[in-house]
Amino acid sequence: MTTEKTLSLRDRQVDQATSRLSLAYLFVAFSAFGIAALAGMLQAMVRGGLITLPGGINYYQILTAHGVLLGLVFTTFFIIGFLFSGMARTTGGSLPVAARSLGWSGWSLMVAGTLMGTVTILQNDASVLYTFYAPMKASPLFYIGMALVVVGSWVAGWGIFAAYRRWRRDHQGSTSPLFAFMAVATMLLWQIATLGVAIEVLFQLIPWSLGWVPEVNVLLSRTLFWYFGHPLVYFWLMPAYISWYINIPKIIGGRIFSDSLARLSFVLLILFSIPVGFHHQLMEPGISAGWKLVHVILTLTVVIPSLMTAFSLFAVFETTGRAKGGRGLFGWFGKLPWKDVRFFAPMVGMLMFIPAGTGGIINASNQLNAVVHNTIWVTGHFHLTVGTSVALTFFGIAYWLIPALTGRRLTSTVNRLGILQTVFWTVGMLLMSGAMHYLGLQGAPRRTDYTTYFDHSTALGWMPYQQLMGIGGLFLFLASVLLIGILIYLGFFAPKGFTEYPIGENGDTAEVTPRILERWPLWIGLSAFLIAVAYGYPIYELIQHAPPGSPPIRTW
Amino acid sequence: MVVQPGIPQPDRQHPQTERKDSSLKGTFAAVLLLGAFIVVCWFAVFSLFVSRG
Ligand code: HEM
Ligand SMILES: [Cu+2]
Repeated sequence: MTTEKTLSLRDRQVDQATSRLSLAYLFVAFSAFGIAALAGMLQAMVRGGLITLPGGINYYQILTAHGVLLGLVFTTFFIIGFLFSGMARTTGGSLPVAARSLGWSGWSLMVAGTLMGTVTILQNDASVLYTFYAPMKASPLFYIGMALVVVGSWVAGWGIFAAYRRWRRDHQGSTSPLFAFMAVATMLLWQIATLGVAIEVLFQLIPWSLGWVPEVNVLLSRTLFWYFGHPLVYFWLMPAYISWYINIPKIIGGRIFSDSLARLSFVLLILFSIPVGFHHQLMEPGISAGWKLVHVILTLTVVIPSLMTAFSLFAVFETTGRAKGGRGLFGWFGKLPWKDVRFFAPMVGMLMFIPAGTGGIINASNQLNAVVHNTIWVTGHFHLTVGTSVALTFFGIAYWLIPALTGRRLTSTVNRLGILQTVFWTVGMLLMSGAMHYLGLQGAPRRTDYTTYFDHSTALGWMPYQQLMGIGGLFLFLASVLLIGILIYLGFFAPKGFTEYPIGENGDTAEVTPRILERWPLWIGLSAFLIAVAYGYPIYELIQHAPPGSPPIRTW
Repeated sequence: MVVQPGIPQPDRQHPQTERKDSSLKGTFAAVLLLGAFIVVCWFAVFSLFVSRG
């Protein structure tokens, strides 16, 4: 095929202008990922006593870099880049000019903020961890940088909304493409969720770190952070769900199970993933048990859309596997395309979501939280959720998205290497996260540099498992290097050609998607109502009966 | 299956799955197993909580 023809084929999926925008986001995402993966490996080795950090580098410094660059930067950049590409792919192949310029403005703000944050961490002026826990105080530039990242992501979100609005205007009376609907839902959740952390950073942390106000209300700052912190995890998950609902059926040669069910689950995620932050503060003095109970009940409601997702995915797999000749109760399972990395990586992610989600239900149950709170079990838990389910799905997406956008081919060698990369990542996570879960149940704390607590026998008993964490970290680092190598190859060196951008079709053609699902003002209103109920009075109390304020503290 | 140099080939890829013969027995069994797994893990940690109480 001539280059011209392959180019036009590519353009029919996502035009060049959008491809460039999307690739710019992916580039920052994976650069941050590479640095942070190195930090993660070092942390795991240090905790196991296998190495010590050179040159006076502080453990909490690299831990902050790891948390910020992975939890906030890698995920947000990847998600926005992916959503822009899919938005264009499903709304006619391009983005309106306004959407693209919003996309680039957002990117610039986010890059500026990321650089400010990274530099202050490297200067050892911001070892406050990615949760910014006051009264630990970072340089004001760190908080300003993080604020720029958030504001930039809002601007990018408006770009997604602009593209959606154009489509609705041009197709009055029709149901929007599923991808576009889900992208809007994800960015809407993000706009509502980040209000909490924006208020915390702008009105509490920045003035306090500049010395304009002497003290900070720690309890309020933590509450505002967790108002944001839980929907943050759904902001990571929803794009993974998008890929599971929409890309995967096409990749395996099947169809979407139910368009309405998919949309309903996203609406439920918007409603129930925000008014639940107290489940991160179950051990917090100063919040009454009654309000914690309200949040726990709402948290367990979020299980419903997750189980809806599990059900519809199994259904897609079973229907497709049976059509390919799978027999018996589970014969369809073996018929799935296990040798295709586009399926294999996210599928391992989905399977790992079973223990990951189970851990989440345990964390959110008040009594069980007393067993695991602030132990390294929690770190083990979210390395399964975001570190495995979400990360493997994002890797799986990148394997086809990057060549689709650069007009190159996902070759069979890359496919094999990708499978190897997935296996390394999974083995590493099973070792590291498995050890973390076990250690946490024994009481080993998270966020802790190497220590034997004066050779206390209990702590010495933990050491072999801490070393196992270190070995897991090595596997993970190897997988990260392999990943970066593959992505550079796919972006710059792979043979020119066509790679499909897989978008599934609805299997049930008779199904009519209820119009109410697209009445955004209704969902925003309901969400605001639930937030007001869950947070209104408790926050009023936190301000009226504020604990004594705290001056800034530098712990490092 | 993966590497499709050349052309998108949507239709070869889905043998039009007819809904009539698509049983969801396996899906039902799988979600029951999933539920059971959650309950077992939950009670395992709960027993730890009780024993340390
Ligand atoms: C190379 C792979 C990875 C390794 C070796 C690794 C290792 C670690 C270790 C050892 C810790 C905690 C140490 C402690 O609490 O003292 C940690 C924390 C953390 N990791 Fe990872 N991790 C990896 C990948 C990821 C990914 C992909 C994400 C998310 C996208 C992630 C997000 C986090 C976060 C948010 C923390 C918490 C930081 C904190 O407590 O402030 N990690 N990681
Ligand atoms: Cu949470």
